Amino acid sequence: MSNNQQIFEHWLEGKISTEHCAQQLQHDPLWYSRLQNALAVQADARIPQFDAMPAADSSALFASQWQRPATKRSWWPQVSLALSCAAMLISLSPAQLRLHNGSLTLSWQNSQAEVEAAVSSALTTYQQQQQQWLAQQLDFQQQNTSSQLVLLKDYLQDELKRDQRSDMLQLVEYLNQQRQSDWQYWQENYQPMQAGYRPANSYYLTPTDSGVVKP
Amino acid sequence: MFKRSDDSLIAKALNGDQHAWQQLVNRHQSALFYFGLRLLGSKEDANDLLQDVLMVLCRNLGQYRGDSSFKSWLFGIANYRAMDMLRKRKYSDNDDALAELPDEAPEPGQQLASDRQQQQVRKQLLLLPAEQRLVMELKFYQQFTFDEIASQLAISSNTVKSRFYAALDKLRLQLEDDHVEQSANF
Repeated sequence: MSNNQQIFEHWLEGKISTEHCAQQLQHDPLWYSRLQNALAVQADARIPQFDAMPAADSSALFASQWQRPATKRSWWPQVSLALSCAAMLISLSPAQLRLHNGSLTLSWQNSQAEVEAAVSSALTTYQQQQQQWLAQQLDFQQQNTSSQLVLLKDYLQDELKRDQRSDMLQLVEYLNQQRQSDWQYWQENYQPMQAGYRPANSYYLTPTDSGVVKP
Repeated sequence: MFKRSDDSLIAKALNGDQHAWQQLVNRHQSALFYFGLRLLGSKEDANDLLQDVLMVLCRNLGQYRGDSSFKSWLFGIANYRAMDMLRKRKYSDNDDALAELPDEAPEPGQQLASDRQQQQVRKQLLLLPAEQRLVMELKFYQQFTFDEIASQLAISSNTVKSRFYAALDKLRLQLEDDHVEQSANF
């Protein structure tokens, strides 16, 4: 870029005045005439134009391109949303609507009392369950004990019977031994004497092992 | 009164605000119309260009990203459409454009020297090649910088300067010829 071009462009950009630029370029006919022509065109550009301008109506074009028909606003979604929010608030808040005997009552529950009631109810249920379990366990234990007692009773009875039989056997044996010893004693001491006193055809003359001989 | 920026008007227009759109159009339509009038040479063509640019602007308003000034972006559209029209109608060498200009014969006692010079400049500008005429228009009448013009035309800044100085040189020669002709008439 030549120095004159630089000066000319500085003038175009408004950095230096026209006089200063002309003074700088007056020795170069090419650049000086360029300046003169640029001044002539610039002067023309500064003169306002008064040619009638036809009216340009672009509203229809704009409307077809960017304007959308106004949508019919439906209130149902808003109503639905509002009712949903109200339902959530009612369910989360301690407010309660009760219909009792044809009258609608709005009441506010104490959440602390509600919690305590819930805890109490849970504890009561737990207590009842525990009591039922204990009763079942006790019943089972009783049944078990009674069955064991029955078994013990049967065992004891069996033992007792066995002992009684043994005692009876011993008694019978003792009695047999006594009878045997009594018999022996009779044979040894009284049979001879009896034989001496009894007739020969006496029924009792022929002694037997039992002492009696049947006719 | 507080004047809304182009960006805020565009944002409102994109939301369907017709008043904002009309404000935006009113702000720039005269510049666009006279741009077309100087470049194309007739009111009908200038009006066609204005309608065409407004239609393109309306369709592509959402594509404005604010990387450059709105005016620069708008004239980027206008330049393209104007060059397209010039190419189609071959205005660069069309005498019809000159016919639109008022007769520059001086009316004694009514026309000042400045008026004559104004007519002369505009006539000479219309005789320039379209690309050079466009650069002159953007530089002097729309006050864009060389870089802005380069961005609008998608060419380098040096090419813009080259076209600009070539136009100045041609204008110089033609003005000198006119001076010679006028001198001969006198």
